[in-house]
Amino acid sequence: MKTTDVLIQSYLNDLKAALKGADKATVQDAMADAEEHLRTALDSEKEQKEGLEENVALEKIIQDYGEPEEIALAYKDWESSLPTVLAATPAARRTHTSANGKSYPGFFGVFADPRSWGGLVYMLISIVTGTLYFCWAVTGLSTSLAVMILIIGIPITILFLLSVRGLAFLEGRLVEALLGERMPRRASFTDSSLGWIERLKYLLTGKSTWLGLLYMILMLPLGIIYFTLMVTLLSTSVALILSPIPTIFFNVPFMLDFDANHTYILPAWLTLLVSVLGVALATGTLHLARWVGKFHGKFAKALLVE
Amino acid sequence: MIELQEIHKKFRKELSTGIISLVLLSILAQADEPLYGYQIGKLIGAGSTDSESDMDVVTVKQGAIYPVLRSLESQDLLSSEREMTDSGPPRKYYRITESGEQALKDWIEIWNRTKTFVDSVLGGNYQ
Repeated sequence: MKTTDVLIQSYLNDLKAALKGADKATVQDAMADAEEHLRTALDSEKEQKEGLEENVALEKIIQDYGEPEEIALAYKDWESSLPTVLAATPAARRTHTSANGKSYPGFFGVFADPRSWGGLVYMLISIVTGTLYFCWAVTGLSTSLAVMILIIGIPITILFLLSVRGLAFLEGRLVEALLGERMPRRASFTDSSLGWIERLKYLLTGKSTWLGLLYMILMLPLGIIYFTLMVTLLSTSVALILSPIPTIFFNVPFMLDFDANHTYILPAWLTLLVSVLGVALATGTLHLARWVGKFHGKFAKALLVE
Repeated sequence: MIELQEIHKKFRKELSTGIISLVLLSILAQADEPLYGYQIGKLIGAGSTDSESDMDVVTVKQGAIYPVLRSLESQDLLSSEREMTDSGPPRKYYRITESGEQALKDWIEIWNRTKTFVDSVLGGNYQ
């Protein structure tokens, strides 16, 4: 590594240390901003002056950028100013909780909570995204392994692993939009001033490459479970809610078959109770969607954010 | 003496919180093309340490521009686009949005009134 890289890395480490306690995604954003700035500034200084003392110039650039503690404070301010409903930063949650007394909505409050609807949509589409991720992961992995013995296998494997990182970032954006879990706003960047071997090492040893791959594979069973759960619960709720209509308006009896010999026909007024049951089930389903959304957000963050 | 410097620093920081948003929005409104953080920092000349003294104007360290840009973006006053570069990390280019321009107009009005008010108090003409 060049000395300038060491300097930049040590600044980034200091910044990370100063940001202790902030949300993981905020830390990643702050590091990306700092790295963009320091490298861009250094490049443009180099263009302007021939034979520049790079280390001296960089020290000045870092000084202008600001003390790690000062910059960390600015990011923490920004984090706590994020909208409270969908941004689940620890700071935002604290203000949200203290303002309302409680952070969890009441039983029927879930209908007004965007997070429960976000969770619902996420669970419904997860069958599509889950299948795509799984197919891509398995196809890529098996192709990579199969052609590994040939020289062409190496670039194919590298391209595949890069695509895993890209997809992991995209999934992160989806998770933040629908589930409200704060995820990185920028893809993690591999330092292009490093040699290709170093970058390859980072790609191969980076936690997020392999955990991202694991996430993509796990998304198939999870997607199937989420989708099935939601479709079953929602269609049952709708059927129960609408059950008085055939009985009251079309005189079609609501029948309960316990076994072949015993069939009970509900009186019309009782079907209204069934409808109430349906509303309760629908509300319960939204609670479940909200809870699963929260769980999945944490799960995605653990696997996809470094 | 150190204590007094700390107090100045705190005062400058408190004063700069809103001003920097106004300055950033105004710079982006005047720009013909989207700008990235480093360019904006250069335009402001922020953190230039040449005239470092107790009585420095309200300046913001270049690094502190970025969270403010993000904050303005989350309020839909700015929009951004990432662009890859040949060397180095991708850059985030910011441009002002329509609601940003509307906000800027109002903010300039607020700024002007505040300035007049503060000047009149400082000049002792305040009734």
